[in-house]
Amino acid sequence: MAITKIVEVPLVIAEIPIGPQHPALHEPLLLKVYADGEEVVKVEVNTGYNHRGIEKLCEKNTYIKDLFIIGRVCGICNAVHTDCYVRALEYLLGLEPSPRAKYLRVLTMELERIHSHMLVNATMAEVIGFDSLFMQIMLDREKAMKAKEILTGNRVMADYIIVGGVRRDIDDAKKEKIKDLLLKLRPRVEYYKKVFEEDETIVKRLVDVGRLKPVDVTLHSLVGPVARASGVRTDARAEDKYDAYSEIPFNVVTRKEGDSWARMMVRWDEVLESINISLYILDHLPSDGNAVPDEKRLPRIFPAGDSYARVEAPRGELTYYVMSDGRSTNPYRVKIRTPSFNNIINSAFMYIGHSLADVPVILTSLDPCISCMERVTVVDLKNNTRYRVTVRELASGKV
Amino acid sequence: MTRPKLIELVLKNLFSKPATVQFPYQKTDVEPDYRGVQYADLTKCIGCSLCAIECPADAIKMIKIPSGYEGVNKLNKNMIYPLIDYGKCVYCYRCVKVCPVNAFITTNKYDIAGPSKPTSEELSLSTLKKVG
Repeated sequence: MAITKIVEVPLVIAEIPIGPQHPALHEPLLLKVYADGEEVVKVEVNTGYNHRGIEKLCEKNTYIKDLFIIGRVCGICNAVHTDCYVRALEYLLGLEPSPRAKYLRVLTMELERIHSHMLVNATMAEVIGFDSLFMQIMLDREKAMKAKEILTGNRVMADYIIVGGVRRDIDDAKKEKIKDLLLKLRPRVEYYKKVFEEDETIVKRLVDVGRLKPVDVTLHSLVGPVARASGVRTDARAEDKYDAYSEIPFNVVTRKEGDSWARMMVRWDEVLESINISLYILDHLPSDGNAVPDEKRLPRIFPAGDSYARVEAPRGELTYYVMSDGRSTNPYRVKIRTPSFNNIINSAFMYIGHSLADVPVILTSLDPCISCMERVTVVDLKNNTRYRVTVRELASGKV
Repeated sequence: MTRPKLIELVLKNLFSKPATVQFPYQKTDVEPDYRGVQYADLTKCIGCSLCAIECPADAIKMIKIPSGYEGVNKLNKNMIYPLIDYGKCVYCYRCVKVCPVNAFITTNKYDIAGPSKPTSEELSLSTLKKVG
């Protein structure tokens, strides 16, 4: 039968929602992907599915209760959040913790970085369909979790850092246990790094996907391993030298490739670096000063003023702004700016030109932490104004 | 491009113990000072309510000690004790640290799920002697 009529199908750009509930996403986030066939032409990032009003909750509770609320902003990087908030409070008080407490704080944060980076690498293996690698990494991640349990008393929720020091000290038996676990973990991490370098599946899926130029990093204010993988040497640990980082030798890991693979490799190198930092701390822990302050005598009212602290969380630079009116037992304002907030909301340009299958890979390589990034500020670009949204407006769905 | 040596890994995993724990039948290995269930020792508790005020999760309620128990601290004039709702508790141990008489007993027990609402009532009252 001869062809009698040719019908031209116009190119239709399909709108494909990825999320808020999606197997590739572990937390609720909506990526509205506009695809021309398989090619992504535009991505809109929609958030707001996990907003809990933590900043407002902090204003309604006392300074010390806020320590535990802030630890729950993000489950994975809870000690880092608490450290940042506590340092902001210590700046208000003009208080300096003992060197031993500072070293122990760094140890908790580095153990947290180890397990956070291992988690995202495992998630990446899962997203690209390499489930056995996911399970292997998660199994070895338990060693870092166990080390954190020995140090703080819980696998995940540290609740370890408090104004003036830490909440429990460490003895020689615990030191040896943590050291043993970390020495067992190191060859495994080196092995996984080799797998990520050499495995054909991983290399094919990750290399040259979501390439990010250094100029884009600075233009879109991306932070953390995402920036370091594009050759931008930014690390709050090296820049601010807070806590005991001024005394501990460590390298800032950077790479030049700038693709998804480089971001994962930066994380593996940082895990190895964190293991070295932790082992250094366990060997050189100072014994002067009391690391554990008496919690019954903690200050309840803080001097009037405002303070600002920043830390290098596993996902990048995290900042806290705390304002005190000097009269109330509650903070007047607590402002949190998390690394995922910058990295995810500003990342829509990275997906363009890649295929649909690469969208979860690029998103995972940015290490999204949705519970961290749910802050509400409405910025109207047309009128160049910004305003905050009340809970009532949010609840009624007017925004 | 060389491949990681899989044969070695396969043989090792074939003869090694499974990594998973059959949880309700087999206990997970936790540290002795793991932050588990905590309850007030009523022979020490003075009923000051500081733990209930300081609790960030609002999990502690001060309630009357039921009649029929003896051995309550003499300073506990109001005859009240902290009842911890373990469903609400976040195990931060703020109550343990803030207690002026160190009345809290800490354990590394973590499996609190069960048919009844998990509270510290039974554990706390077990520190007292029952009469009558």
